[in-house]
Amino acid sequence: MEIAYFLGCIMNNRYPGVEKATRKLFEALDIELKDMEGASCCPAPGVFGSFDEETWATIAARNLTLAEDMGADIMTECNGCFGSLFECNHILKEDDEKRAKINANLAEIGREYKGTINVKHFAQILRDDVGFEKLASLIEKPLDLNVAVHYGCHFLKPTETIGIEDQAENPSILDDLVEITGAKSVDYKDKMMCCGAGGGLRSRDLDVTTSFTKEKLDHMTEAGVDAIVNVCPFCHLQFDQGQVEVNEKYGTDFALPVFHLAQLYGLAMGLSPEELTFDAQKIDATPAIKKALGE
Amino acid sequence: MSIINRLKSLFTGETDKEEKDISNDVSNTSDDVQVTSSQIVNDDIVSGTKTTVPREPVEKEPESDKKDLTFKSDIESLEETAEAEEIVEEVEETPEVVEVEAPEEAEEAIEEVEETSVEEEAAEEDVEEVEEDLNKKETKRDTMTLLTDKELLNDSNRDPDFTAEFIDAGIETVKHCFQCGTCSGSCPSGRRTPYKVRQIVRKCLLGLKEEVITDDALWMCTTCYTCQERCLRSVKIVEIIKKARNIAAHAGYMAKAHKMTGVFVMNTGHGVPINDATKALRAKIGLSEIPPTTHAYPEALAEVQKICKITGFDELIGYDEATGGLKE
Repeated sequence: MEIAYFLGCIMNNRYPGVEKATRKLFEALDIELKDMEGASCCPAPGVFGSFDEETWATIAARNLTLAEDMGADIMTECNGCFGSLFECNHILKEDDEKRAKINANLAEIGREYKGTINVKHFAQILRDDVGFEKLASLIEKPLDLNVAVHYGCHFLKPTETIGIEDQAENPSILDDLVEITGAKSVDYKDKMMCCGAGGGLRSRDLDVTTSFTKEKLDHMTEAGVDAIVNVCPFCHLQFDQGQVEVNEKYGTDFALPVFHLAQLYGLAMGLSPEELTFDAQKIDATPAIKKALGE
Repeated sequence: MSIINRLKSLFTGETDKEEKDISNDVSNTSDDVQVTSSQIVNDDIVSGTKTTVPREPVEKEPESDKKDLTFKSDIESLEETAEAEEIVEEVEETPEVVEVEAPEEAEEAIEEVEETSVEEEAAEEDVEEVEEDLNKKETKRDTMTLLTDKELLNDSNRDPDFTAEFIDAGIETVKHCFQCGTCSGSCPSGRRTPYKVRQIVRKCLLGLKEEVITDDALWMCTTCYTCQERCLRSVKIVEIIKKARNIAAHAGYMAKAHKMTGVFVMNTGHGVPINDATKALRAKIGLSEIPPTTHAYPEALAEVQKICKITGFDELIGYDEATGGLKE
């Protein structure tokens, strides 16, 4: 099995430990991750999607053509990238008029969208293409960790078009994937709420975004978790960098380390915290990692 | 249950004084108390937006005009109740004048009471009293509703082309909204900002372009899709918000921080470009220092830049090619 690996921006340009863990994980799973050479930003749905749909769709379609040329489905481990690429692929497959318009733009850079590949989310591939059993076989040491799972918004929603089998308001896919590592997914109030960063809000009005994040952190802390697990580098950044901003603004002392699901698997597979670049994250993950590994 | 009884139940307890006044009036009149449905409200009022287009009464006896007791404001308060929509629908389905058989029960529902045999003086006094009462109520009600006489909107406030943009973009579901408010009730942004998604959807349908695109709150949506997932009418709410934002952006309403994200993509291909710290980190853990993206392939970056020129994105955000920043 081959997959076109879409990196996006925040993951590879800020949290490379996620990329490292993913490459190691798929190596162990014997699935080839092929680089999409020359891929760009998805582009950011909050700005490009909100400013000009045509530009958004053309840049996204360009990324799709890279994978079409490789003859492989795309995997992304960012909800924002997934939202942009999946939605654009869906629109262009369904809407002949828009497809013609976007292809006219792409023709000027010598490309053509054909509609021959699918866009998949990292977690979707783990559950549906790899399977729980195979994943479980990779776990070297079950993690002793209570985590708050954060789904993020552009993963299962809008359910009308996203084909991932689950219930958007009461899902289980990530909880199931987390529990394979030995960690326990702890329920908390307003679990499905947004982190506050999306839709261009973080760059436009940080105070409002911070207020979202504070509410989430309150509820996660009340549930007594050791860490947050997410599947979106933008949510990841919001809970990591944003947690510092919450503490500054509200005078709180939240200290919940943030794990991308790939990092959680990396840890359970025996990668070091440094390889997973936890040492470069704002919120110290050392206590949670020690607990997880029983040190 | 008759329309009149249902209307009466809406106002019970709130209109004691008026009730008495009108009651007296009515008892002095002939049996012919008529309620006209025409001027009550149109559906816009009920919906809770500012738009109302009062209509002329369907039937009117010219000689009794000056004695008319108009309880327009009273009827406007219908918007405060959810039941009102049903009633109005019923009333509107009955274009003819509704004959009221039991005048003593009609008072609260009366939008126009047409009298034929009451003494003119007495009637005028009553009118004054009632109007005074209504003025008091009006002041109170201003804090509860969007409706004031000064703010009444009519067709001249509407821009049908604005509404058409949503329909043309394939978001026909904007027409399906029945203003239940599930979206606003589910909205995490609405809990902490002036963002009222239900109202924006309504305004988009009505064509209140300026109100929508100049409102900062339009940008408070995180596109979390909770509203859309829960919408009873399957309205593509997030699509509506994004379309409204596109129209706002093309009218020049763009935050500088957002434009800068566009600048980063035009300069590097990435909204969040790589930095030296991450390069070092990547090298340390055995990844390529520069990811295999537009960062590593200048010809790929050139394609992205060309796309932004073809679509006019560079001009939209005011990109300055010479400086690689924004034109000031």
